[in-house]
Amino acid sequence: MEIYEVFRQEREGAPMQHSGNLLAPDPELASHYAREFYGRRQESVRLWIVPRAAIRDLDDPDLLQPPLDRSFKKPVGYSADIKRKLAAARTRLQEQP
Amino acid sequence: MSAPAPASATATAAAGALDEATRRALADLLLAMADDEFVIGFWDSEWTGIAPLLEEDVAFSSLAQDEIGHAQALYQLLAELDGGDPDGIAFGRGPQEYRHARLLDHPRTDWAFSIARRFLYDTADAARLDQLAASSYAPLAGLVAKMRREETYHLLHSAAWVERLALGGHEPRRRLEEALERLWPDALCVLAPLEGSERLVEAGVLAEPPHGAEQRWLGSLAPLMERLELPFPFRRAGQRLEPTITRPASPRGEHSASFEWLWGEFTSVQRSDPEASW
Repeated sequence: MEIYEVFRQEREGAPMQHSGNLLAPDPELASHYAREFYGRRQESVRLWIVPRAAIRDLDDPDLLQPPLDRSFKKPVGYSADIKRKLAAARTRLQEQP
Repeated sequence: MSAPAPASATATAAAGALDEATRRALADLLLAMADDEFVIGFWDSEWTGIAPLLEEDVAFSSLAQDEIGHAQALYQLLAELDGGDPDGIAFGRGPQEYRHARLLDHPRTDWAFSIARRFLYDTADAARLDQLAASSYAPLAGLVAKMRREETYHLLHSAAWVERLALGGHEPRRRLEEALERLWPDALCVLAPLEGSERLVEAGVLAEPPHGAEQRWLGSLAPLMERLELPFPFRRAGQRLEPTITRPASPRGEHSASFEWLWGEFTSVQRSDPEASW
């Protein structure tokens, strides 16, 4: 028995979204079961059925959650002071003839 | 389906165009097909809750439900052709009045047996649906086109399990072989000609004679059965595959005690109050 992760696409062009997982004795039956759980009510136009073993799992906090402050790398990292200066600059620009 | 749905205009027109003998033969065909789907649906629904794994439980129950859905559509077509209402036809007969093939007289038995029966039935039914897709009776051709799309999945599912059991080691293989040996003669009953089959061929309701469907069925099974070295009791006679087993004399009658028990189960609610409106 192997665990398979199932992704479904709701309509053409939509992203593949993780739906859940299932247990199956082989890839073919996994496809049938995936269809049964995530496609039988016509809620999907495509399914991806992936053996969990084929997924590289990365959850190392040293890589993903570094302890030093890296807030400057975030797009929302402007301080209140900078936001205020930016707003003032915009206003000045608009007031120019 | 509490009240009979009104017959569609196209079905009424199509039925009106048939002569009496053809209409009679078509009604027999629809009843045989509907009863086949209805009875295998009930047998296989017995696996709900006890299938070998949860995922398969859901899948097998869903297949059983599909078959009962096909039966419902066929009973509806029969009611449009012949009068009566689908519920009355489905539940209102005595056990010996059902016209399903002998293949469906066996009880559920073990998993290998249910898979072997499903496989033989699904593949034979596919050959039957193929010959009806081009039927001159438009309401049936239309329904068959929809049924075939669902049966595609049924075929893949049962073939996957046959292969799995055949290659799964001593015990599963032994059980599968025993089931196939026991079921083969009765499997031939699914496509056995009905009394009015010739009439239906002449009228174009059946696009080919029944032995044509049987040969296509056996021909499609032969490669898999040979590859897996599973029981396949036929020999080649020129282009044809001839059975080396005896065909049962009564393909769709003299139902077993097992079926009478199943009938008692599936009619129990309806019989508790036949006049009730659900």
